[in-house]
Amino acid sequence: MDKVIICRCEEVDLEEIKETISKYQCSAREIKLRTRAGMGYCGGRTCRPALNAIVAEISGEKLRHEIPLKIQPPIRPVSLGKIGG
Amino acid sequence: MYDVLIIGAGPAGLSAAIACREWNLSVLVIDEFPKPGGRLLGQLHEEPDGKWWNGIEEAKILLEKAKQLNTEIRCSISAHHIEKNDHGFNVYTNEGVFEADNLLIATGAAETPAPLPGWTLPGVMSIGAAQVMTNVHRVRVGNKGIVVGVNVLSVAIAREMQLAGIDLQCMALPALNPVTADYGNPVKVMEGLLRIAHLAPSAAIRFGSSFLKGDGAKDLAVKFFPKSGVKMWGMPIHLRKAVTRINGKNQVESVTICDISAKGEIIPGSEKTVEVDFVCIAGGLYPLAELAAVIGCPFQYIEELGGHIPVHNEQMETPVEGLFVAGNITGIESGKVARAQGTLAGLSIANRVIGTDGQLENQIQQAKMNVKTIRENATIQFHPGIEKGRNQMEETFYNILHG
Repeated sequence: MDKVIICRCEEVDLEEIKETISKYQCSAREIKLRTRAGMGYCGGRTCRPALNAIVAEISGEKLRHEIPLKIQPPIRPVSLGKIGG
Repeated sequence: MYDVLIIGAGPAGLSAAIACREWNLSVLVIDEFPKPGGRLLGQLHEEPDGKWWNGIEEAKILLEKAKQLNTEIRCSISAHHIEKNDHGFNVYTNEGVFEADNLLIATGAAETPAPLPGWTLPGVMSIGAAQVMTNVHRVRVGNKGIVVGVNVLSVAIAREMQLAGIDLQCMALPALNPVTADYGNPVKVMEGLLRIAHLAPSAAIRFGSSFLKGDGAKDLAVKFFPKSGVKMWGMPIHLRKAVTRINGKNQVESVTICDISAKGEIIPGSEKTVEVDFVCIAGGLYPLAELAAVIGCPFQYIEELGGHIPVHNEQMETPVEGLFVAGNITGIESGKVARAQGTLAGLSIANRVIGTDGQLENQIQQAKMNVKTIRENATIQFHPGIEKGRNQMEETFYNILHG
């Protein structure tokens, strides 16, 4: 089960996320920065709830009101030409 | 430059557009799907009174009304950023920048994943994707499938697929892992199932729901849940079996399924292989609120409403001036509630543009009551604590405004 892929875009599995949490005692944001989980093409739309759930389950802490993984524009894949105008 | 820009052409967005156009506001509705209607387009179910809810027809009614009022609706447009300007908002999209004094975000919900080994194989899809393919695109998703995850949404969609003539082996739970802790737990799943029991033609489930109110009774129901599952419309729903793996070389060929204890633990030696060529994964829904986050709207985490929700009041206003929300972004509920919220949001926006008006004030009060009545009479409740969650949100909004 630990080999199950959590972040499909960046191909990060549960084992890597669990190991990162136990090694660094870290937040969802730090997991993202260390493993790239949630940083792929979909902008985290698929794995964001999964990452939050894993951190909550392992740390035993309830989710807070602030969104754990900051949402930044562009929130949809868009070509540089469209952004640059 | 519009009075209001509405993001999302589902039941909430279209109803809001209609209300705004009736008060003669200039309106632009955008949606990233090629067709307007949102998730209404996928819905088809029989209600307890025997009437059918056909979402495609409901969408048509809204669209015709919007057309009569000359509402501008543009599809295949994705908003990727919003910024405040000195009078309202700039909305950045793949078709350029749009300006509006007011903004309604009615982007609905996204699906929560239930990751399992093998879920990246072709032939695995979310239950919502299966619904869109079946009811919107009319594409057969496969020849023989299984639904992993048992909840209000997945049972309804499984029924729709059956009606479309698609062969479903059964529904079962996902094996437990840190992500599936809730939807892999038979007792928690049973709670959810009881909320739709009145829709089930199965006497066993209906009978069960009438006496299974206490927690102890729920545990017992799970303990003695039939090994062969309970049949809804001839398809077994298993609470004591979990899919542990999806197998296949280049695409889905089978799943591995195991018996599980009442707590969801796998019973060793119970592994079986079931041949299927597609798998629908159902983890539930969460509000799709990215745009509210980038504009700096505060959030509340309210489990009863489905997760992180942009703070808003009963009139669908957020603490960000000129920003409104409606539909599933405010909490996971039925399309009927979304539609009523949309009308209310539209009237609130008209109120901000026009100012004090007796008739408009009356309509707003009426629309508020309408949302409540529809919520109370809902046949499908996505969460038993909806009302509690709504009250928590009201309080939060008040506290933010009045410290």
